[in-house]
Amino acid sequence: MVWLYVLPVSAVFLFVFVGPLIYTAWTALHETSYYQIGKFSGLNSFVRLFSDSDLPSRIWTTLVFSLGALVIALPAGLLSAIVLNNLHRFKRSVRSLFLLPWLMSQATAGTIWLWFLNPNYGPASAITKSLGFGPTDVFSTPTSALVAVTLMTAWWSYPQAMLLFLGALQTIPEELRESLKMDGGGIRHQFVNITLPYLRNTIVSVVVVLLMLYVQMVTIILVTTRGGPIGSTETLSMRVYNQMFDKFDLSGASATAILLFAVNIVLTLVAIRFRRKESL
Amino acid sequence: MIKKRWGLALVTAVVAGLALSGCSPSASEPKGPVTLNYWDFLDPSQANPRSKALKENIAKFEAANPDIKINLSVVSLGDMLNRLPQAAAAGQAPDVFKMFTPVVPQMASAGVYSPLPDAASKVTDWLRPTDTLAGPDGKPVAVPYEYRTCALYYNEKILNQIGATVPTTYDQVVEVAKKAAAAGYTGFGTGFSDTDNSAIISTFFNCFMSQVDQEIWNKDGQADFATAKGNEFGDFLAKLRDAKALGSNVVSDTYGTVADGMASGTVAMAVLGTERAVSFGSQNKDLKWTALPKASTGDTTGTTIGWTLGIGNGSKNTEAAWKFIEYMTGPEAGALMATGGEVPTRAATYQQPFFSTPEAKTVNDIAAYVKTNSEPRTYSNTWTALATGLSQAGQKLTLNGSSGNDFIRSAQDAANKK
Repeated sequence: MVWLYVLPVSAVFLFVFVGPLIYTAWTALHETSYYQIGKFSGLNSFVRLFSDSDLPSRIWTTLVFSLGALVIALPAGLLSAIVLNNLHRFKRSVRSLFLLPWLMSQATAGTIWLWFLNPNYGPASAITKSLGFGPTDVFSTPTSALVAVTLMTAWWSYPQAMLLFLGALQTIPEELRESLKMDGGGIRHQFVNITLPYLRNTIVSVVVVLLMLYVQMVTIILVTTRGGPIGSTETLSMRVYNQMFDKFDLSGASATAILLFAVNIVLTLVAIRFRRKESL
Repeated sequence: MIKKRWGLALVTAVVAGLALSGCSPSASEPKGPVTLNYWDFLDPSQANPRSKALKENIAKFEAANPDIKINLSVVSLGDMLNRLPQAAAAGQAPDVFKMFTPVVPQMASAGVYSPLPDAASKVTDWLRPTDTLAGPDGKPVAVPYEYRTCALYYNEKILNQIGATVPTTYDQVVEVAKKAAAAGYTGFGTGFSDTDNSAIISTFFNCFMSQVDQEIWNKDGQADFATAKGNEFGDFLAKLRDAKALGSNVVSDTYGTVADGMASGTVAMAVLGTERAVSFGSQNKDLKWTALPKASTGDTTGTTIGWTLGIGNGSKNTEAAWKFIEYMTGPEAGALMATGGEVPTRAATYQQPFFSTPEAKTVNDIAAYVKTNSEPRTYSNTWTALATGLSQAGQKLTLNGSSGNDFIRSAQDAANKK
């Protein structure tokens, strides 16, 4: 009878994960014309993918973007969760304020930033011009464009980390803090000796969730730069999009999607390894 | 057992009969009220004249055809390019959709279109030839809904301020743009962003290639424009860059931001579509337009572009769909859309009373300009890759200091990249 319990989740897992994965691999192994799958072509798509001189820079961009956003969103999420956890007044209002970015769709967030940073009429330009600097022209050079989309993504996603941390912070027994206080421990001791150990597994979970989000992120990049200039913000997921909807290369996009999946697995396994060590 | 076999045969015969009857287009046309799914990039709820004209045209069509309802979906061009091939592959293409001229063959190759019905061949008064709007088999798949071509827009006040006259050659454009840049303006507005499907640079390139009489694709459908004539376009952009006459944010500029810059008086000149003439006229009285500057060939003739209407693959309402298309491109609807600044495509439309009024002067001028200063082009099915390639080549030209030749070669390679 045990299989009856397992059956629904297995069916859903097969339908929404294994099936599409196999179909993607199948597509990558065939010639395609728009959305029509043609004859078997073996590993041609993968040969094309790995012989593309742009591929290393796209993988590098993916790592810089994902890890960069993570390095910003993780502490920002933790800090805002600690602030919220220690607030006794206006807690709901502040929480709503902190959650605001995440309540927007990625497309809305990207569009708002695009307007804000517009060099001709954006408020950011008005501020920098009034301070004697030039207009904010962040999307015109490769480095500044990558920094900008990374910051936007971190801004949009940090509330997700905040919520997870907030939940974990509320499970820390108050007695521990009080004992530490009685022993003369300060805020730093409390953070290092109580908060961090309690949050370690949550931190790993947040890292996994955010990394998966960033590696697969398309919309904010699509709205703001579409991978430019000169491919500087074209992550692997953006490349999948461009191959699919710009070049209509379904087979090539599928091959890149398989590589993206592999990158995601590697990053996730590395993150989970920390949790496993701790559990042991 | 025998009864079972007879029963099976009967069911098979009925199913086969139904299937065969379903294959006949006339038999599949539903009787009674029909709802047409129509995709357009214009949002009729907006307050601008074009949207108002669209809304009114749809309402008038529905009033004249009570059995046909129009279910309009507002879909941007970028989304349409993504979604149409998917929708067609899933058998869910809209009955009617609007499409930008250069992308028609690409969408036809993607199986998005249904060939136009025979009735379409009875309409013969198009201002420009329509034989380029065909699918891979040569059958017509779309008809022109609105015409435009390229024109040179300039800010008269800026040109007066710097003591320049309206340039008539591309070399003169560089000179004037350099002076305007030195005076603190963007000398020549263009953009290398591909967030809007590279609209501004691909439109300009399209017209320029007509001016220098350079085909973009060879007979095999391969992009083949990296020639001495093609290089003239890259060289022009490189000269503008060297003269510091391009905008400081040219890499991220789009059709929209350049047009905004023209309207707000920060850009001295730009090559944009003629559809902007009407809106610029009301936004900034200093903005004027004129024919394209002469290329080395001495030619000012650009490419006829614009929007088209076609029927989606798998539509079960082809008769009603054509009825709608015929109405929307016909005299009555055309006169109404002209009030919104769009240039109608059929000669019969210009017999409508509106075109004899002073309000129609700009539209009449543009229509005459399109007729005399543009020629239709035959496109291949790699337009989107070419447009992206042009943007990326422009980004390299600006950021890496690459040459005009490199620009053209890079764009050609991008269009041919598998």
